[in-house]
Amino acid sequence: MSAQQPSGAPPQNRGQAGGLAPPQKELMEYSCADCGATNEIKSREPIRCRECGHRIMYKKRTRRMVQFEAR
Amino acid sequence: MPAPRRQPTFNTLAREEAFRNPPSKDATYPILNEFVAPHIESFNNLFDDADRRGLISLGVENIGKRVVFDGSGRESGSWGNRMQFWIEDVAIGRPMARERLTSYRGKMTVKLCWSDPQGQRHEMHKECGMIPIMVRSVRCNIAGMSSAELVRKHEEPEEFGGYFIINGNERLIRYLILPRRNHVISLLRPTFANRGPSYTQYAVQIRCVRPDETACTNTLHYLSNGSAMFRFSWRKQEYVIPIMLILKALVSASDKEIFEGVMMRDYGNTFLTDRVELLLRSFKMFTLSTGEQCLEYLGDKFRVVLNTPEDWTNAAVGSYLINKLILVHLDNPRDKYRMLIFMLRKLYSLVSGACCADNPDSPQHQEVLLPGHLYAMIIKERLEEILNAIRINISLDVRNEVVVDFNDKKYIQKILSKVSFDIGAKLANFLATGNLVSPTGLDLQQASGFTIVAEKLNWLRYISHFRCIHRGAFFAELKTTTVRKLLPEAWGFLCPVHTPDGSPCGLLNHLSRTCRIVTAPLAVTHIPAVLAAHGMTQAFSASSVDGRANICVQLDGCVIGWARPAVAKQLATSLRIWKTEGLNDVPLDLEIGLVLESKGGQYPGLFLFSSRSRMMRPVKYLANGRDDQVGPFEQVYMDIACTPEEIEVGVSSHVEHNPTNFLSILANLTPFSDFNQSPRNIYQCQMGKQTMGTPSTALQHRTDNKLYRLQTGQTPVVRPALHNTYAMDAFPNGTNAIVAVISYTGYDMEDAMILNKSAHERGFGYGTVYKSQIVDLRDVPGSSKSGPATLHFGLGRDIMRKAEEDPHHCLDFLDVDGLPFVGAKLSSGDPIAGYIDDVTGRTRFAKYKGDEMALVDQVRLLGSDAGDSELQKIQITLRITRSPVIGDKFSSRHGQKGVCSQKWPAVDMPFSESGMQPDVIINPHAFPSRMTIGMLVESMAGKAGAMHGLAQDATPFKFTEEDTAIDYFGAQLRAAGYNYYGNEPMYSGITGQEFAADIYIGVVYYQRLRHMVLDKFQVRTTGPVDPVTRQPVKGRKRAGGIRFGEMERDALLAHGTSFLLQDRLMNCSDYSTAWVCRTCGSLISLGYEDITLGQVSSGPIRQTGPGGEYCRVCRAAAEQADERERAALANGHVPSTPKADLHVAITSQHVLGRASKGGDLDVVAVPYVFRYLCAELASMGIAVSLAVS
Repeated sequence: MSAQQPSGAPPQNRGQAGGLAPPQKELMEYSCADCGATNEIKSREPIRCRECGHRIMYKKRTRRMVQFEAR
Repeated sequence: MPAPRRQPTFNTLAREEAFRNPPSKDATYPILNEFVAPHIESFNNLFDDADRRGLISLGVENIGKRVVFDGSGRESGSWGNRMQFWIEDVAIGRPMARERLTSYRGKMTVKLCWSDPQGQRHEMHKECGMIPIMVRSVRCNIAGMSSAELVRKHEEPEEFGGYFIINGNERLIRYLILPRRNHVISLLRPTFANRGPSYTQYAVQIRCVRPDETACTNTLHYLSNGSAMFRFSWRKQEYVIPIMLILKALVSASDKEIFEGVMMRDYGNTFLTDRVELLLRSFKMFTLSTGEQCLEYLGDKFRVVLNTPEDWTNAAVGSYLINKLILVHLDNPRDKYRMLIFMLRKLYSLVSGACCADNPDSPQHQEVLLPGHLYAMIIKERLEEILNAIRINISLDVRNEVVVDFNDKKYIQKILSKVSFDIGAKLANFLATGNLVSPTGLDLQQASGFTIVAEKLNWLRYISHFRCIHRGAFFAELKTTTVRKLLPEAWGFLCPVHTPDGSPCGLLNHLSRTCRIVTAPLAVTHIPAVLAAHGMTQAFSASSVDGRANICVQLDGCVIGWARPAVAKQLATSLRIWKTEGLNDVPLDLEIGLVLESKGGQYPGLFLFSSRSRMMRPVKYLANGRDDQVGPFEQVYMDIACTPEEIEVGVSSHVEHNPTNFLSILANLTPFSDFNQSPRNIYQCQMGKQTMGTPSTALQHRTDNKLYRLQTGQTPVVRPALHNTYAMDAFPNGTNAIVAVISYTGYDMEDAMILNKSAHERGFGYGTVYKSQIVDLRDVPGSSKSGPATLHFGLGRDIMRKAEEDPHHCLDFLDVDGLPFVGAKLSSGDPIAGYIDDVTGRTRFAKYKGDEMALVDQVRLLGSDAGDSELQKIQITLRITRSPVIGDKFSSRHGQKGVCSQKWPAVDMPFSESGMQPDVIINPHAFPSRMTIGMLVESMAGKAGAMHGLAQDATPFKFTEEDTAIDYFGAQLRAAGYNYYGNEPMYSGITGQEFAADIYIGVVYYQRLRHMVLDKFQVRTTGPVDPVTRQPVKGRKRAGGIRFGEMERDALLAHGTSFLLQDRLMNCSDYSTAWVCRTCGSLISLGYEDITLGQVSSGPIRQTGPGGEYCRVCRAAAEQADERERAALANGHVPSTPKADLHVAITSQHVLGRASKGGDLDVVAVPYVFRYLCAELASMGIAVSLAVS
């Protein structure tokens, strides 16, 4: 019905993470809900904007291809 | 010659500009801030400002001081060391920044003071927790911000506040109707007679309000012996005192003074003299003559109840009682005395029939409980409770002979630590549940249902919350409907149209558009002097005033004087002129209720009201053409013309600014509502609030549990002028549709409507539902509630990630941080978040639980309050697409709702001569019985407006019999080349033939209602069953069935469709087969014999079924019979066969094979519940037997 993840195109960030050291220390980019600044937050780090100190972050839209079958 | 440039009527560009560059000075639509003003201003009243003291500090003053003794001098007879303590300063700080899914609150601190036995004053600051703060009140961070600043703060540009944020929900305190304060109303209630011996149905009542907005209701009951009893309540307990006792205690009035005061020189009135005489006589038994004695008597009786300091004298307790509970709106005992005398006179006049009882259901005698004032009452009561708790704790220590040392700071600390100071949590709980936990009841009739959620379903619903006003939960249970009646007194204050139908009808009303609520007390101290200067006799000379020829003048429940009716009339007129013109410093919001003498009518008087919480509305005063504000009390005695044409010279005193002002905001938005039958307008007010529209323009920053959004909202072509005033175009609520009124395919029967499939494909009525799901790792079972987190968002090493090694299926949805990809498509059961459990080291998943396909719209990472801990809570906004499908509900703005029955292909739709096809087809039968002519007019107006590019004004009461809407819009249609009446020749889309009749086709604004089949459909063939009865379970959520009940059964019986009945009630429900014994008819005595090895060789041959089934009861009976026979053979007795107490209802011809002992069995089909019933009955010793034939 729908193909979210085309089998031939594995996402970029997954390739790096899999083989390397403990998966706990993933570096992810989030944008601040208040000032919009991009924050790089590792997992298990406090959620706090480096620019304005706001405590809500948005996850960025995925860079993966998102493809749905239009019916 | 070029045509003159026409002014734009849709203001599209102006609106776009306002959205792009919101004004930086002011709000885009200032009127939106006006209509929530009572909410915000009443909250602001809590705090001190430059020219007025706040309600909290007034309340703290009213609480007073508490006194305790340490009991050290018990032997010597004294009370011991004395300590006083009181609360002085209450400060409420500003809240932290508005956050998602938490509460919006600021810190509250109080200054607790006490004086030790040496008289040394100590003070201490105590924190009272976090108090929820009203959005946009003075304590709010976004108070008074302009639209531009609000947008910068990620708020709605039209944000107007007025609500509280509790756990991420917007909640508000609903207005509540209360009896008018400081005004005596006479009541006639048969239930009063049940209060005790000699009580009658007559009473007068006054709801007295202190300056800090707390109230105390006093009632004066008439007794059949002519005297009166004064009733009040203290801590939910009711007390009655003879009125004479209070009159004497107040001013030590002599009998003569009381007699003169009540009689007011009307000595010829024997009715009055008789009763006053009895009143005075009956008091003789108390043998109290002076005021001091009365006070001491009162103090003696009430000392235990009132909890006053032990060292007070009885007289002090008596005056405390009078101060605290009797006519609390007045400070001066003389004023209280005069008011009591007035109440007595009114009571006697009610009894004698000289005046009638007042209607407490009429807005004339009502006012509004404002949110801030209720808040102040609760805070005051909580503070009082804190002081009481301290006192109780100390006296408990004294009684238990713990060392009590008032000089020891440590001891004070110890006592304070036992007392809960957390007012914030109490208030948050009040706002979250609406339940009032109060030892006094706050003089209110209900204890719950004060708060509601401000649902952002659409803009109309949202703004309606802030204008709704409830009569009180108590009245909802009342069987009589009198309280629900629409009274003429409500004109202009409560909207006659905007009330729900069904159970809250008439109890839940909405304020009219222009109705205001006064939130500031007026400066009126000079008014008595002004009135006295203009002919009013002052109050202190009352004994010389003739009660027959003078009427009472009162200001806020204080007798300020007396005047002859003619003078009173003159005074009222002068006051009105002064207040409209601003002369003599008479405030505009002063209510001047002049009630002149009438036989058997309302009790006369000139009643002035300047207090808060009154409803007022603007009208034009004809005498000088100025703006006037009138209240519901005075309006009854006024002649207010609806339109300038209606003014009758010499009769009308005022004229409405606008004839539609009596309607609420929503009722005003129904186009041409004056053409419709009135219930249809009521329905539209309901449906407008259920429409899928635009709830907010800041959707990206909202975390509501559920939001409906219409993707293709349009501005209506036909709209009343107020549509623009109230920013309706910023929040579109529907779509302009080409509507043909024709019975076309049969799919438009019974209020169904046919949707043009191409219109649907172009996005007609396309909607979206936003749902939010919260994953809080602190709430997951197995997490550590305190201390460092043991669960962490992310994917552990147990998740295979390499693409070539068969990746884990969760990787289709989840990113490496364990959060879903923004844009991922989820169906039921898909993982929505992954987290690692430190204890097991494995990855666990939170699942998406909805049934529908959803797209991840936003993922919010919510940090902790301090911003120092790792991620534990996320909020995911899911987007669910809701394209219109068959079964979805639509409506026009005239209470004409219908369900989409087909999406008809465009090629088969009828078309007009110009090739136009309708978007929507409705059936002509929708009109005759409903008489929604407004919809027909809207259709014409919309068509003309669309052709000429005009926004049509649909304000009601614009057309007259001479200047009809049909002619106005007909002429426009003709100018556009259409038929004058809106009919057009049309052709069948299927055959291409012209219809015999011309079809009425035009443009109507259609709303898509939120009731959608996808949320409602319920269907099953097989599915889960109840484990006990094996019948299908109920409930849509559990994939259950719909009950086929008794009435449905009756219908099938009546039709003789027994096979269908069998199918529904048996085969599709709990069909089961059971073995039943033919001999005893038992269903529950089945036994199995092991026949795998063949029959048992020894003993008598027992008959069994094919699987070895036998009846245990019958076999046991047979074996007993055998044994008895054997015993009989042995001792020669012929045994009597024991009679079974079992009543077997089997006729002999039905019982076959009687010879075989041990019973033979048959298989019968019975409902499973019947077997259950048999088992249950057997447990009670009742045997059920089946007659099997």
